[in-house]
Amino acid sequence: MYYQLINFGNEEFHAYPNKSLYWKRLNTLIVSDLHIGKSISYAKNKQFLPPYDTKEILNKIFVSLDNIKPSNLIVVGDLLHDVFSTLSIKDQDYKNLSQYMKNTDFIWIKGNHDKNIQIEGFKNFTNYKIEKFLFTHIPFETSLFQICGHYHPKVKISHRGKTIFKTCFVHNEKIFILPSFGILTGGLDIHSKQISDVLGKKNLSIYPVGHDKVYKL
Amino acid sequence: MNINKSNPLLLHPLNKWMKKKKWSWFPHQIETFHYVRTGSDVVVFAPTGAGKTLTGFINPIDDLIKLKKFKGLHTLYISPLKSLANDIVRNLEKPIKDLDLNISFQVRTGDTTPYKKQKQKQKPPNILITTPESLALLNSYENAKEFFHNLKYIIIDEIHTFLDNKRADLLSLNIERLQTFSPNLQRIGLSATLKNKQDAKKWLCRKKPKIVSYENSVLPKIKILESKERIPWSGHMATYSINEIYKEIMKSKLTIIFVNTRAQAEYMFKNLWLINKKKLKIAVHHGSLEKNLRLKVENNLSKGLVDCVVATSSLELGLDYGDVEKIIQVGAPKGINRLLQRVGRSNHNLNTPSKAILVPTNRFEFIEAKAAIEEIKKNNLDKIDLKEGSFDVVAQHIFATACAGQFNIHDLYKEIIKAYPYKKLKLNDFKQLINLIQDGGYVLKNYDQFKRIFQLRENKNIYKLVNKRETRKYRMNVGTIIENPMLKIKLGTKTLGNIEEVFIQNLSQGDSFIFAGQVLEFQSMKNNLVQVKRSKSLISKIPSYSGGRMPLSTNLANSVRGLLAKSNMWDLYPEQITEWLKRQKYISKIPKKDEYLVEQFPRKKIFYTVIYTFAGWHANQTLGFLLLRGFKEFNYKPLGFVANDYAIVLWSLKEVKEIKTILNLGLLDKHLDNYLEETSIVKRLFRDNAIISCLIERRLPGMEKTGKQVLFSSDLIYTVLKKNEPDHILLKSSYEDAKKNMIDYDRLREILKKIDKKIILKKLTSISPLAVPIILEINRENLSKKETDEYILEDLENEILKEANVLSIN
Repeated sequence: MYYQLINFGNEEFHAYPNKSLYWKRLNTLIVSDLHIGKSISYAKNKQFLPPYDTKEILNKIFVSLDNIKPSNLIVVGDLLHDVFSTLSIKDQDYKNLSQYMKNTDFIWIKGNHDKNIQIEGFKNFTNYKIEKFLFTHIPFETSLFQICGHYHPKVKISHRGKTIFKTCFVHNEKIFILPSFGILTGGLDIHSKQISDVLGKKNLSIYPVGHDKVYKL
Repeated sequence: MNINKSNPLLLHPLNKWMKKKKWSWFPHQIETFHYVRTGSDVVVFAPTGAGKTLTGFINPIDDLIKLKKFKGLHTLYISPLKSLANDIVRNLEKPIKDLDLNISFQVRTGDTTPYKKQKQKQKPPNILITTPESLALLNSYENAKEFFHNLKYIIIDEIHTFLDNKRADLLSLNIERLQTFSPNLQRIGLSATLKNKQDAKKWLCRKKPKIVSYENSVLPKIKILESKERIPWSGHMATYSINEIYKEIMKSKLTIIFVNTRAQAEYMFKNLWLINKKKLKIAVHHGSLEKNLRLKVENNLSKGLVDCVVATSSLELGLDYGDVEKIIQVGAPKGINRLLQRVGRSNHNLNTPSKAILVPTNRFEFIEAKAAIEEIKKNNLDKIDLKEGSFDVVAQHIFATACAGQFNIHDLYKEIIKAYPYKKLKLNDFKQLINLIQDGGYVLKNYDQFKRIFQLRENKNIYKLVNKRETRKYRMNVGTIIENPMLKIKLGTKTLGNIEEVFIQNLSQGDSFIFAGQVLEFQSMKNNLVQVKRSKSLISKIPSYSGGRMPLSTNLANSVRGLLAKSNMWDLYPEQITEWLKRQKYISKIPKKDEYLVEQFPRKKIFYTVIYTFAGWHANQTLGFLLLRGFKEFNYKPLGFVANDYAIVLWSLKEVKEIKTILNLGLLDKHLDNYLEETSIVKRLFRDNAIISCLIERRLPGMEKTGKQVLFSSDLIYTVLKKNEPDHILLKSSYEDAKKNMIDYDRLREILKKIDKKIILKKLTSISPLAVPIILEINRENLSKKETDEYILEDLENEILKEANVLSIN
C-alpha cells in the first residue's frame, strides 16, 4: 500500500490512506478515534444511522493487522463511542480480536468518549510513553513529543477556484494529530479555534488523505 | 358582463357588497357556486384579476351565514406562500367587515406566534388560512380529529404550483387525512390557466369532479427589446442592453424586471445602479434576502414608492402589487406558463392587456423569446407533468401520523393510496417505510431495543410512538423544501439574509461580493455567521446559487425548432440574427422541425461533435455524460463535454466515426445506472431524502453545530449504506427521484427512441455559426467529484514541489 513518509521528532512515520500511522522502527501501528458503535449510540436518541460502522471499522483494522503484522497497536483514544457501543461488537469480533492479540500488543489509551468503559482482557491507559514520545488522546503541557487524536482534523484546500475539505494528518514541531479512523465520523477544520489553540497557526505540516494516497502540502 | 336574472349569486350575502363596489359576478363564479352547492369538488381555472380568491370563498361564506353562528373550523384555505396567506386575510377582511358578517377568520403559518397558535387550537376560527406545512403540523396533533371533524371546505390556491413537486405529495396526503376526519369535506382548487386541466382535476377532485374555466380574451402585449447593440454569442448577463433597459424603466411608472437566477438579480441591480443618473428608486428582491428586507420592498411596491424592482421568481406569485405597468424579462423565458405568470404581474385589470418586454441575453435566447411570443398568441401552454409520489414524503407522513396517536397500518395504507400521487404505492414499499420510521429499516439489526414507533403486542397491525419527546423532532423536520446549507450574513449587527455555505467557503478575508445590492467585504465566519462590512471596491464576485436552474420546456423547445426552420421569417429578425442563421444555412444546415442536426469538425487537433437536441439542460447534461461513456467504449478518447438547453458539445482526441451507432436508445439502457453511480446526483438527492424522511435531523438556519468534530454528514451515511445495503428503501427512493427529476429521464427516452432515423450528420472543416455559442461555454472538463478532488490535490502538490525545488536551487 502507498504511504506518505512523515518526519516527526526525528523519527520516520508512514501515513496510510486508511488513516493509520505506522512507526516502522518499533513496528507499531497507531490509530485514533474509531468511535466504534457510533450508530448504536445515535439510535438510542432515535437517529437511525446505518449499523454497519462497527463491522467496517473492525474489518479495516483486521486488514491493517494482516498486512503489517505490527508488534504493537496503539489506539490514541475514543476506541468506543460510548457505553452502549459494546452492544454492537459481536461475539465473533471478540474472538477475532483475541486471536490478533496473541501476536500484537493492544494499547488502548482512553479518550473523552470511552474513559469510563472497560472491556474484559483489554489493557487501558490514560497515556503511554515510548522513549521521547507520549501517546495521549488530548495533548497537554509537556516537553515530550505528543501523538494524539480527538480533533478529527480536516483541511480546507482552495485551488484554481475550487474548494474541497479533506481529512488530514497534521503536526507542528511537538504535537502530531491523527485523523479519525472511524466510518461515520465527521471532521474539524485545522484552522478552527479548537485546533489552533493546540497547534498554533504557523509551521504546520499537513497531509491530506486522498482516495488511495496521502498527499503532502 | 350581463347580470343574468337567474343568477343565484344575487341572493348571496356578498351581493350587497359587490353592488356597492359596482362589481358584477363573473360567469365562472356563478358556475362554481352552483357546482359546489350541488356537492361537486371543483377546480377553477382563471387568470389573475378574475376574482379567483373570492370564487373560492363564495360557497363557504354562503354556508356559514346560513348555518348561523357556526362554532369551530368550517373552511381551510391553503396558500403556497406565507406572504400570500397574509394578503388573503387582508382581502377577506374587507367584505366581511363592511357587511358586518359574523364570520371569524385567521391566518396560521410558521410566522404565527405560539400563543396565537395555542388560542387557535382552543377556539378555532371559522376560516383558517394556512400553508401545506402548517396543515401537516396541525394533522400531527393529538386532537387533530376533533379540530377538523366539522370541516366543510378545503380551498387550494394556486394549485398549479403544487402539482409537480414533493409539496404536492405532502399536501395530497394531508387532504386525504382531512377527508377521513370529515367525510363530507368538499375540495375547491384555484389555478392559473393550464394545458392539462384534466390532470389537475384528477389530482384534487373525488366527488362528482368538475372543471370551471374562464379564458381571458385580452392577450398580453409582449415584444422583444429592440437593441442597437450586438446581441452576444453567449452569456446570461445582458450587459449589452443595460442602457436600453434603463430607458424602458424611465418610460413607465413602475416596472418589475424578472431574471432567472439570484446571481443575475444582483448583477442586474448593480449595473442599473451604476448608470442611475436620474436617481430612480430601484430595489432588488429574491429568496435569499432577509424577510424584513423583502417585506420592505413588497410594501414599497404595493404603495408605488419605487420605480423598479429587480426580482427572481420570488415575486412571481401573489396579489396585486399596485400599479405595475411593465414587466421586463431578462434572459430566456424557458417556458410559456412561467412567462405568462410573470407577464401577468403587470396591470391586474382584465380588460387592458399586460405589457412586457423580453431581453434575450444571447442569440439562441432571441429565437426562444420569439418562439414564446408566438406560442402565447396561439395560447399554447406548457403541460405540467403530475409526478408520482415520493417515498420520503410518505415516511414523514407516517411519523406525523404516529405523533397524532396510535394507528393501524392497514387503515393508513388505504388512506394513502387514495391520494392521487400514491395510487400505485405498493404495500411492500409502504411496510419498508414503516420500518424506516421504526428503526431506520436496516437489514442488520444491531439495536432492537431502540425504536421510534413500536407494534402493540396484542395487535401487530397497530403502531405507537415510543415517547412524546419524538413529536418535537417531527415538528422540527416537517416539510419537503430542503435548502442548501445556508449561512446568515451580518453587516454590523444587521442581518442581510442567507448565503450558501459553499459560496462563502470560496472566499478569503477581504474578498468582495454583491449581496442585497451592496458590495460587501468578507471579514470572518464565526458560529455560522458571516460577518461583512461595506466595501469601497467595485470589483466583486457575484453570489452564486446552485440549483434553481429551470430547463427549457418541451413545448417551447418544439416551438424554437419550428421557428428556426422557418427561413421565410428570418428577414423580420434583427440583422445580426438573420446573418447568423443565413451563414449557418450556407456553411452547414438548419435542421427541420423533427430533425436532429449533428455537426463534427476538427479544431486545434481536437475533434468536436455538436448535437442539437433542444432537450433542455437537464436532459442534455445527462446525454452528455452518457455519450462520454459511449465514446470511451469506442476508444475515441473523449476529453469532456458541455451542455446547455439547446445542444451538447463533446470533444475527443480521435475522430468520432460511428455517432449513429452510439446515439440511440441503447445508450440509455447501457450506461444510465453507471452514470447515476458515478455522479453525485443520487448522493445529493439522498441528503434530501434522509432529511424529508426524518432519518437525519434538519440543520435549521442559526442552529449551531453542537457535536463539533463528531458531526456526521448524509454523504457518510450514503456511502456506508450503498456498500452494505444497496436495496435500502431510501436508496431506492433517491434513485427514483433522480430518474424523475434531475435527469429528465422520460424526455431523454422519447428523444433517443426516435433519434437514429432523424440524425442529419454534417462533417465540417471548421466550427459552424450555430455551434459558436456552445463552444464558448466550454471552459472546463467535466470530471466526477472524486476525480476532481484527486486532481486538485495532485496539482497542488506538484506546484508546491516545483516551488520547493526552485527555492532550493536559489
